[in-house]
Amino acid sequence: MSQELERYHRQMLLPGFGEAGQRRLMDAKVLVVGCGALGTVIANMLARAGVGHLVIVDRDFIEITNLQRQVLFDERDVAEGIPKAEAAKRKIAGINSQVTVEAVVDDVNHTNIEKLATGLAGVGKVDLIMDGVDNFETRYLANDVAVKHGIPYVYGGAVGTVGASYAVLPHTVAPGETGETSWEQAGRATPCLRCIFEQAPPPGVNPTCDTAGVIGPAVSIVANYQVAEALKILTGNLDAVSPTMLNFDMWANAYKQFKVARAYDVGECECCKKRNFEFLDGKFGSSTTTLCGRNAVQLNMKSAEADSSAGGNGHRLDFDEIAKRLESHGNVTANKFMLRADITDNGEPYELTLFNDGRAIVKGTKHANVAKSIYAKYVGA
Amino acid sequence: MSDTVTVRIPTALRPQVGDQESLDVAGGTVGDVLGSLNTQYPEFGKRLYKGDNEINRFINIYVNDEDIRFMENLQTPLSPGDEVSIVPAIAGG
Repeated sequence: MSQELERYHRQMLLPGFGEAGQRRLMDAKVLVVGCGALGTVIANMLARAGVGHLVIVDRDFIEITNLQRQVLFDERDVAEGIPKAEAAKRKIAGINSQVTVEAVVDDVNHTNIEKLATGLAGVGKVDLIMDGVDNFETRYLANDVAVKHGIPYVYGGAVGTVGASYAVLPHTVAPGETGETSWEQAGRATPCLRCIFEQAPPPGVNPTCDTAGVIGPAVSIVANYQVAEALKILTGNLDAVSPTMLNFDMWANAYKQFKVARAYDVGECECCKKRNFEFLDGKFGSSTTTLCGRNAVQLNMKSAEADSSAGGNGHRLDFDEIAKRLESHGNVTANKFMLRADITDNGEPYELTLFNDGRAIVKGTKHANVAKSIYAKYVGA
Repeated sequence: MSDTVTVRIPTALRPQVGDQESLDVAGGTVGDVLGSLNTQYPEFGKRLYKGDNEINRFINIYVNDEDIRFMENLQTPLSPGDEVSIVPAIAGG
């Protein structure tokens, strides 16, 4: 065995893996979107497994409350205040020097995700997209890109003691036709994320890790399940890829594998069946405006739920519910038109104002990235 | 032998049903069962239902391990002992 392969000996022993499987991993290019709780576990395990090229994108900096679950980071990273993507790159260089890492410190949105997945200099089109994000807007963007360009995408989500994961081997052509990807040729294509969840939960409805808490094992299990699916996909073991969605609650000791195959056959998915890439086209999702001279950023959340033409019900934020969740972070006041909350995030004070038409203003920063991050963490989307 | 089904409540909706993880409910269809929960726990119903007879589209309902959207939706028949899971999209990470 050549020296460069020696470190992978234990996984190469597995049936369906071998030297051929390892060589495929070493040639593979993977985009890791988000490098927080899920993303650090994913990047760590993919690097150790010898996936040759990783593109890691994250807009955030490391803070002390991340260390409880974000396994690539330590106290020195917090003290130095470095971005998550850069810290991950530094750690991976010491874990496996055979892996090249492209660290991108940026917000992922509809203007840049296609470039990240298909056109980064020196990388080109990636073989797989791994989901390490904390909001559904970015997930639907990743799902749109995956379906449009025929790139497998592995969803993961975790909060509190619950988690979910699911591997999308996307359909790349209209129903009734067979695309040219290896998974379509093998009859292994699966429904996309929008087949399964037609809409994102409206802002403020679901708990987030920053308001409801999260334990390390919940994210680690989800992320490692995602990595297992990734190894199957990248080594070409497509028949081993799970056709079900994992869903568990560790506190209730409930572990389920829900069947999803019929979601494509019977459903009317806008994305993978009708091939309308609504998030990529910017129809849904948020837009940001820096409010000049005010050290504040305005966010405009355009959700399908609020879009009456999409059959939504014009969902309004539940200020009482959100106020309850934010009380432990600082002073909160609300009336029927707006909610205002003082939040200290990573030692910096912010004032978050939510309006009942879906607008939000984050005061305390001029940067759209920071404002979107605060919104995702404390309101949720 | 009981003629109820077990409804699994997700974490986010437990406060609206008295912090219970699961409930045993009688009913012949998914709509019957969720309807009687709606009557008993209106705050729970408000979060689950979008209109009178439609579930919010970011929440999926599974009977055993099958999605009701691809069976008979709220008319999907239930047998005693079936498990009805309410599964919202999980966003964190």
